[in-house]
Amino acid sequence: MAARVDAAAIVRYGSIVGSVIECHTSLPRAMEHARRNIAASAGSNRAFSSGTVVLADTMSQCRGRFTRSWHAPPGGVWGCMVYANTLLPRSRNFIPLAAGIACCETVREFGGTASTIRWVNDVLCGGKKLGGFLVEGYVEPVHGEEFALIGFGINVNNTSFPDELADTAVSLKQVLGREVDLAAFTTVFLARLAWNFGILCYEEGRELSGEPLSGRNGRHLLLEQWLNLSDTVGRRIVYGFDVMTAPQYQAEVMGLDATGGLILALDDGFVKTELSGEIRYLG
Amino acid sequence: MSNEIDFDELLSKYKSDPFDYVDVFAIHTGRVLFKVVEGQEVTVAAGEWLQIPGTTLYEIDRERNMKTITAQTNGIVAQINTALDGQFVEAGEKLMTIKHPLKKKEIIENILKEVLSLFHAPESAKYFFAMDVQSRIDKKGAKAVTIDPGDEILTMSLMKRDTPIYYKGERGVIHSVYFKPGVSVEQGAPLIGVCAPEKLPLIQKIITRVKADWDSEH
Repeated sequence: MAARVDAAAIVRYGSIVGSVIECHTSLPRAMEHARRNIAASAGSNRAFSSGTVVLADTMSQCRGRFTRSWHAPPGGVWGCMVYANTLLPRSRNFIPLAAGIACCETVREFGGTASTIRWVNDVLCGGKKLGGFLVEGYVEPVHGEEFALIGFGINVNNTSFPDELADTAVSLKQVLGREVDLAAFTTVFLARLAWNFGILCYEEGRELSGEPLSGRNGRHLLLEQWLNLSDTVGRRIVYGFDVMTAPQYQAEVMGLDATGGLILALDDGFVKTELSGEIRYLG
Repeated sequence: MSNEIDFDELLSKYKSDPFDYVDVFAIHTGRVLFKVVEGQEVTVAAGEWLQIPGTTLYEIDRERNMKTITAQTNGIVAQINTALDGQFVEAGEKLMTIKHPLKKKEIIENILKEVLSLFHAPESAKYFFAMDVQSRIDKKGAKAVTIDPGDEILTMSLMKRDTPIYYKGERGVIHSVYFKPGVSVEQGAPLIGVCAPEKLPLIQKIITRVKADWDSEH
């Protein structure tokens, strides 16, 4: 049974997300811009506002994990959120989930009801990638304060993709057959992100005070929401740390453990849990 | 790192007793049931993806949640606390000791771990070298790469969250690398062993001595 949540407390915790929003016509890469601004703030002895969101209409040097390209023309939601790392290590595991959940919820709210999450946080629609997220740590050089930079790229109204992404990427406009209000979409996404970061802090507070977590059977509320939105469990997958260039093995997904790790059953019955890496669906 | 190493004492220690004695503890509170006996040979997980489980050492049952614990070390069960069989134990209680025969390479590694400055994994995660360090290693080899305190040397990857790891230790060269990219490392396990450049000859001397004095592979 799920516990009643204190929604006001969650909103309070999450309210710093978007407390500062920078909007740019174009940036090479939002994360690099954020790093420079954090370092500049530290250099002039000013605290950088946790929850700052950097948005750009287009980005010219966007990238995904490893050296993968990410195309960021006008029409998408491109940017990053800066979060001063005040979370305990256990909660930090859920940061990538928080971003993917916020995107999937927003896409569904705007009509993309078939969107799902693929572990860890890829948002898919019809098997193609609609949103991707990358979380990078950054330690500012003056005082050593650590920040989590949550990079996001969501294909909303953009419809052209480079050849290498044409078969694997899709936008919400292509799914719906119509444009959506980009500002409204971005606002809802950031509101969902704020709520999810509120949950991170709220659940951490409950755990530290010895109370059970708020999901069913004491499960983390974000994990529960992830399971509601994902179609990963039960799928046959190929796993790899860098699955595109170095796939390692095939398995069936049994579920998620309490930390968000993926529980996999290999063909010979051996069960293992992966806490990092990525998957692709087979069939 | 000390220059004062008594090689003869170290080597005679390993020659007279070329084994590691690895204690096995209860992973949490619960009722234990031993699945091995003293003198039994045990093996670790095997197979390309370590998909063949190691020898089951014990089962532990807490609130009807039964867990099977398998060997993490090859060897022989040297001692087992049989009085605990079927009993409720506390987390961390010592259950048995595995006597693990050391190979020459392991002896060298053990000695090096005593003399190198070890940099440990801050969290259980997958690690890879920072791009700059990796490109220097690719060009010159790890032993030619010098790192300073404050250098970003590694990236920790956990749940699609990549965190830079900064070196906190004495200036030195990366002598030993204990992790493989894409393979999970437990929190606290050594990632790299660092040696001050002027002390590299000392390290080489250790390796040469062990290789010369240790003929068999055990």
